[in-house]
Amino acid sequence: MGKYVERFNTAERVLHWFVAASFLTLLLSGLGLYSRLFHGYFDLFGGGAGAIMAHKYAGAVFLISSLMLFLNHAKEMVTFDEDDRKWFRSLGGYLSKNPEHFNSGKFNAGQKGFGIFMGIATLLLGVTGIINWIPASFPRALVQFSLFLHGLLFVAVVMLMVVHVYLTTIGNPGTLEGMLYGNVRRIWARTHHPKWYKEVGGE
Amino acid sequence: MAQVRVGFLVDTSRCIGCRSCQVACKAWNHMDADKTVEKGSYENPTDLTPNLYNRIRFLESADDRGDVKWLFMSERCVHCGDAGCMKVCPSPGALHRTKEGIVVYDKEKCISCKYCASACPFNIPRYGADDKATKCNLCFDRVGAGKLPACAQACPTQTLQFGGRDALIAKAKGAGKKLYGENALEGLGVVYALEEKPEVYGLPADPSIPTSIFLWKDVVRPLGILGFWGSVAAVVVHYVTYGGNRRLEEDGKGKGKGGDAHG
Repeated sequence: MGKYVERFNTAERVLHWFVAASFLTLLLSGLGLYSRLFHGYFDLFGGGAGAIMAHKYAGAVFLISSLMLFLNHAKEMVTFDEDDRKWFRSLGGYLSKNPEHFNSGKFNAGQKGFGIFMGIATLLLGVTGIINWIPASFPRALVQFSLFLHGLLFVAVVMLMVVHVYLTTIGNPGTLEGMLYGNVRRIWARTHHPKWYKEVGGE
Repeated sequence: MAQVRVGFLVDTSRCIGCRSCQVACKAWNHMDADKTVEKGSYENPTDLTPNLYNRIRFLESADDRGDVKWLFMSERCVHCGDAGCMKVCPSPGALHRTKEGIVVYDKEKCISCKYCASACPFNIPRYGADDKATKCNLCFDRVGAGKLPACAQACPTQTLQFGGRDALIAKAKGAGKKLYGENALEGLGVVYALEEKPEVYGLPADPSIPTSIFLWKDVVRPLGILGFWGSVAAVVVHYVTYGGNRRLEEDGKGKGKGGDAHG
């Protein structure tokens, strides 16, 4: 028995990094649109018009790839069992000095919540993005609301992304390997996702 | 503002619907005519266009006795003191205010985001074939040189009175006129003396920045920046307080009381 167990296959990893790259492009090209404080970021794209164009292309890539990522895992994401409820009740043990045992499946309850939110947010950001793109085709009140909602969701997603990056890197050592190389250490799998580890043949 | 804020006092009761203002504006700003379709009214064109910064709105109505009334109103950018377009414009300098208080756009700096068209309380900015915003600039070039705006210069009935905003308002009030736009949005640069309620002319009764635009720019924007740094601070604090608990122990057991597992 090797030291590693497969967590994400090549297709899943490539898809995830498509989402990540388009997200980063959207973030950098959108910052200047979010506030004049950040108009310096326009220079990365040769000016505001270039940033808007990059935002539209990256938006199309993100909309499709992020929705695919969600749909690939939708079944696992939307089913919560008693172990997941236990996870939520103790906030995943993240605020406890003596971490509890959570019998999580492939994704723990927090990851499921994050996945569902990202699926919904992707869809709404896509719809509001299209409305903001061609405002003349929609009633003004709808465009105004859409501009507000796009900004609000952006803030929520960016805040969650800070947490996502933390938890999958230094916050939980060993996690990133799964998304980089596809496999994780058995000790990692047994510690964080024991139920899943059993399913894939661990002890 | 050291400089006197300029503006129009539009006395609609004096307007005869000659549209000299429309023509003078087009001549000064070198704009082509729009092809229009005859719709049974003298009103032409029936909306502002990228080639039409001001127009006379014709309102025909008949009362119960069949008496016909004709109302005219000069429709254009009103150069709000608190301008929705300037609030949302992400391109520095594309929409800016001159020292006389005029809201001016700079086509060179417009990045075609179209936010201004959505945020305007009066639905004024238009986007042309070049995808750039256009609207009345209040002939800031002429005003800067001490001349009247083209429309006011051409108006034969003194409907469009141009000058220092405060003086125009004081004069109209002295004449007993009821004014629209004196205080709304920190004072409109174009103040109207209307003959009917503003709604009759298609003007909002109580003009304000659209609620969604206010929430977007004055609530979400500042709180979002706070939220981002808050989440960064939260993960940093978490890392140095609880982070060590989550290291994987190579003896095959996770650290901590439970022995083998965290989240």
